[in-house]
Amino acid sequence: MEMELAGIRKSYKKKKVLTDISLSVGSGSCVGILGGNGSGKSTLLSILAGVQKADGGTFHYQGEDLMRNSARIPAVIGYVPQGNPLIEELNAWDNLRMWYDRKTLQRELQQGALAMLGIGDFLKTPVRRMSGGMKKRLSIGCAVVAKPRILLLDEPSAALDLVCKENIYRYLERYKAEGGIVLLATHDMQELELCERCYIIKEGVLEAYQYDGDLHHLAGKLR
Amino acid sequence: MNGMLMYLCAQLKRMMKTLPRQAVVNLLMCLCVGVLAAVFIQESILKQDDQKYRIGVVGDMSDSYLGFGINAIQSMDDSRFMVELVTMTDEEAREAFEKGELYAIVQIPEGVMESIESGANDRPISYIASEGQKGLGAMVMGQIVDVASVLVTRSQSAIFGMQAIMLEQGMEETFWDATNALNFLLIKLVLNRSRFYDVEVLGIANGLSVEGYYFCSILLFLLLLSGLNNSFLVTHKKADMGRFMKARGVGAAGQVAGEYLAYLCLMVLCLTVMFIPLSWCLERELLLIPEWEGMGAEPLRGFWAALLPVTAMFAALQFLLYELVTCVVSGLLLQFVCGIGMGYLSGFFYPAAFFPDAIKRIGSILPTGVALQYVDSSVAEEGALTGGFGVLLYLAVFLALSVLVRKCRIQRG
Repeated sequence: MEMELAGIRKSYKKKKVLTDISLSVGSGSCVGILGGNGSGKSTLLSILAGVQKADGGTFHYQGEDLMRNSARIPAVIGYVPQGNPLIEELNAWDNLRMWYDRKTLQRELQQGALAMLGIGDFLKTPVRRMSGGMKKRLSIGCAVVAKPRILLLDEPSAALDLVCKENIYRYLERYKAEGGIVLLATHDMQELELCERCYIIKEGVLEAYQYDGDLHHLAGKLR
Repeated sequence: MNGMLMYLCAQLKRMMKTLPRQAVVNLLMCLCVGVLAAVFIQESILKQDDQKYRIGVVGDMSDSYLGFGINAIQSMDDSRFMVELVTMTDEEAREAFEKGELYAIVQIPEGVMESIESGANDRPISYIASEGQKGLGAMVMGQIVDVASVLVTRSQSAIFGMQAIMLEQGMEETFWDATNALNFLLIKLVLNRSRFYDVEVLGIANGLSVEGYYFCSILLFLLLLSGLNNSFLVTHKKADMGRFMKARGVGAAGQVAGEYLAYLCLMVLCLTVMFIPLSWCLERELLLIPEWEGMGAEPLRGFWAALLPVTAMFAALQFLLYELVTCVVSGLLLQFVCGIGMGYLSGFFYPAAFFPDAIKRIGSILPTGVALQYVDSSVAEEGALTGGFGVLLYLAVFLALSVLVRKCRIQRG
């Protein structure tokens, strides 16, 4: 497998959030992580993104231990947190320029990921005047700058309209098709349709789950 | 490093977008405080020049010697610049004293001159002051009364001694002429006493004049206040931004460096904006700093450069305070309270030399106190090395703490 997590654990003081997270994901696939509020979905993603340190466990990508070699994480992983990581006073172009050189940015806007996300339509709009969908697309655009092989998304389409969701899903389908790995922390049933596999975090451990459209069953599992 | 530089560029762009508004607000704030300060300093100097202790003299002044003495003090003695003696009735004096128009009342009892002339000294002159006047003024007055009593008794000794010798030698004819002559000689000696000493005023703190001192302290206070105006750059911090940056390889130190340097640039621009009206006023001698007399606005260039470390330290302090609280209102309140509190303790509004020792010590080690000492010494052209070291030390501590707080915030999420 391309990406392997083994025995990842994390506690906040005495509270154990993740006790043993183990998972293997192949390239070109999407994995959905479900769980109640405070179950540790965001914590898991931020550990994988190198934002937080795990108390133990390993995280390998193509045989390389990314936890030991965290300097490689920005090149391998694209991380989109729940809120938007954008500078409100600047427009889309200025936010993207923080991460892209001018040439790459223009190329990506014409035919790359940024074009697919439709960012060219609101390039000069200041972030504070953008809709939630625009902000989310721009956040993803900022995250995929280095063409990462793994994309971690924390509730990517929460409170977005259908057009925005469709735009993001289309991009994620293409990302998968190009061999990328997507890890989604989500509550959204529509997003689960993108995923080949789903897991529920319960008491700090991942449990495999096959979503069959039965919301009551899922809610029961999350309790 | 590259990520940090890109982040710094983004922060600078952000700053430039609101710079004109910031500059105008800073200029207005500077003008308002400048005008108030100028009026305050001028008024306090004028008041200082005009300030006299008004003392009411009541009681028996029928004696010609006593009248002559009071007239001499009022017209010839150096004390006339400090003390104004007003003869009045007992009732008038008490009324004026109650209204606060008199500093004290000197009550001369009946037959006081006869008592002095006879050497009995049994009619004491009363000095009436209020309970609240236990300060320096009352102490000085007490000393003056003491000195006056010594002078009177010494004069008595001289006159009685001379009179005894004259009577012994049978010089009755010239007895009163000689007594008068000796009296005048003694009065002349007392009036000329100021030739014995020379008073040199070294200034109110760190050897600076009142104008120099308040110029420095008000400028520093303005710099502290500019943290309120420039808050937009360091408030509205989102944990998600920090986490995203960290995931992109820009850690807490890089984030703080990028944001702080942009904030510092804004502070330096604010400082420069403040110097425009200052330079204009100094050129036209609307603002007079005795330390820079006759130099126009020339010393401002060196002073601007000397202020840079302090600006950097204040920027780091403000950055840390905004880092500690996430809510904008709490951040602004914290800035305001810290600015006013530390400024007061360090002597921004009232020279720290007048505070009790414990407060003086605390004030001098606060960041504002260290900054004031450093800036004062740059105006007084003293070596500012010690103060400069303290400023840089505080700068390093504030930045290190900011990185630590940011790290915790990223980790906590």
